[in-house]
Formats: sequence, C-alpha cells, structure tokens
Amino acid sequence: MRDSDALDNNPHISRAALEAIHSQVYGWALSRCDFDHATAEDLMQQAYVELLSGNARFDNKSTLSTFVFSVVQNLARSRFRRVSSRLRLVKKYHREAIVQSVETTEPPVDDGVWRAVRALPARQRDIIELVFCRELTIEQASAVMGVTKGTGRVHYDRAKKALRERLQHWAEEE
Amino acid sequence: MQDSDKALRDQVRQGWTGTGDAGSSFETTWQAAQECHAAGQRHYRRFAGAAAVAAAVVVALYAQPPAGESYIEVADLLESTYWTAPSDALLPDRQFDIYQDMPVIFESTEPAGGALL
Repeated sequence: MRDSDALDNNPHISRAALEAIHSQVYGWALSRCDFDHATAEDLMQQAYVELLSGNARFDNKSTLSTFVFSVVQNLARSRFRRVSSRLRLVKKYHREAIVQSVETTEPPVDDGVWRAVRALPARQRDIIELVFCRELTIEQASAVMGVTKGTGRVHYDRAKKALRERLQHWAEEE
Repeated sequence: MQDSDKALRDQVRQGWTGTGDAGSSFETTWQAAQECHAAGQRHYRRFAGAAAVAAAVVVALYAQPPAGESYIEVADLLESTYWTAPSDALLPDRQFDIYQDMPVIFESTEPAGGALL
C-alpha cells in the first residue's frame, strides 16, 4: 500500500517515516564526520536527495532506518575518499598549504567510556555505536557497515572485549 | 543479550548522551534536499534539451538525402580548355605544305639477280 506522502521515486518511503528517524540518522551522520555539524547536515541533505531522486531505492528488504543508515554510511565513505584523494594531491604538490588550511574539529567532550569507544578501531567503534546506541541488531549493523553478519559479529565481540579491558584498566588506575 | 553485555551497553549509552544527536531540523534539511533535487532535475532537463538540439543539428547536417548526380556539359568542358595539335605548335606557320607537291617515289627498272634494284 502506498502512503499518501510517499516519495515519487521511492514509493516505500514516506516523508513521515523519514521525519521519525531523522534525529537518529543525523546522529549517525555526525559520528561519520567527527561530529562536525555542518558536514553532517550536508550528508543528511545528500542522503535525502538520493532518496528523492530514487538513486537509493528502498525495497522493504530491511528496516527503513537500516537502509537510510547505509545510505549515509556510503555517502560519508565516498566523501572521505574524495577528500583524502584531494589531500594526497595537495600533500604532493603543496605541503605547506595543508598546515595552513586544515582546521581540526573539536571533538565533543568525552567521558571515560565514550573515550574508550572512540579509541577502538573504526569498524569496532561503528558496530558498538550501531548496536548499543542506535539499537540495531548485529545483522542490521553489519548491513549498514557493508559486511557479512559473521564479520559483524567478530567486530562486535572484539569491540566488547577491548572495551571491557580498557574500562577495567582505567578502573584499576583510579 | 547477556547481563554483562547489558551493563556495558548501559555504560556506553551513558557516555553517548554527550554527543548530542539533536540540532538538526528535519524540515530545514528536507526542504534543502527538495530544492537541491528540483535544481538537479532542472539542470538535467536543460542538459537533455541541449543534447537533443545538438543531436538534431548533427542529424540535419550529416543525414541529408544524397544530392542528385551532377553532369558536366560537353560544351562547357570544351570551352574550359584549349588544345593544340603538336604539329601546329612545333612546325612554323605555312613554311611549307607537305601536300603541295606530290612526292616522286623512285622506281628502279634495272634488274639485278632476278630482282629490281
């Protein structure tokens, strides 16, 4: 059945459904770009354009949030690739320019636990964020990350182990 | 999920609240996306229109039916050039007429060894 506010090029997605998961997806976009709000907004806008144009087509094979998370993840990846290739070029031809032009974004204030999460390798950090904070299952999180369920589970187990060790280590230090 | 996992999840979530997912208005982002999408479609239409016009021009220029075969009139051809026989050019004008006097061909009447000399 088609919703009244379904998108023209994506009949299985309604505007209301997107609005309902917007803040969740925005949080994911934020964590994709080191918590830079302007970049996250841009990623969200790009993701919505992809959905509006039908370039990213939802066919009800997963939940909508899993699908939109994947779209944001893919857009962030391709943006990162573009930026890093440009940086490589600049680095090659104009090393000094990087020092002057690249501004680092202030990361949000971390408490101990989240600092431990941020210290994890990227894949492990992603799966912990998706499962613990975004309430996705391991299967859904693996789909968002573009890995198999088995690989996702391995990342998840390793992440938990590493987190426990770090937290225990910090607790002993204190 | 095991109890130990739940405890870890709760700990992570506690830290997570500081990162703040809020701060983005769906309405603003959605409108911007719609405008961007509409602009993209306009650009696409313009590009498609220009491409169609260019294709039509190319077709009109290169796909015309072959023109009828053209012939050159013989009279025009003759008038377009000048031809002189080599003898006219090489021999002095009217110096002698090779047909004025019929040449006398020598005839032998003396036989020699059964044949005429």
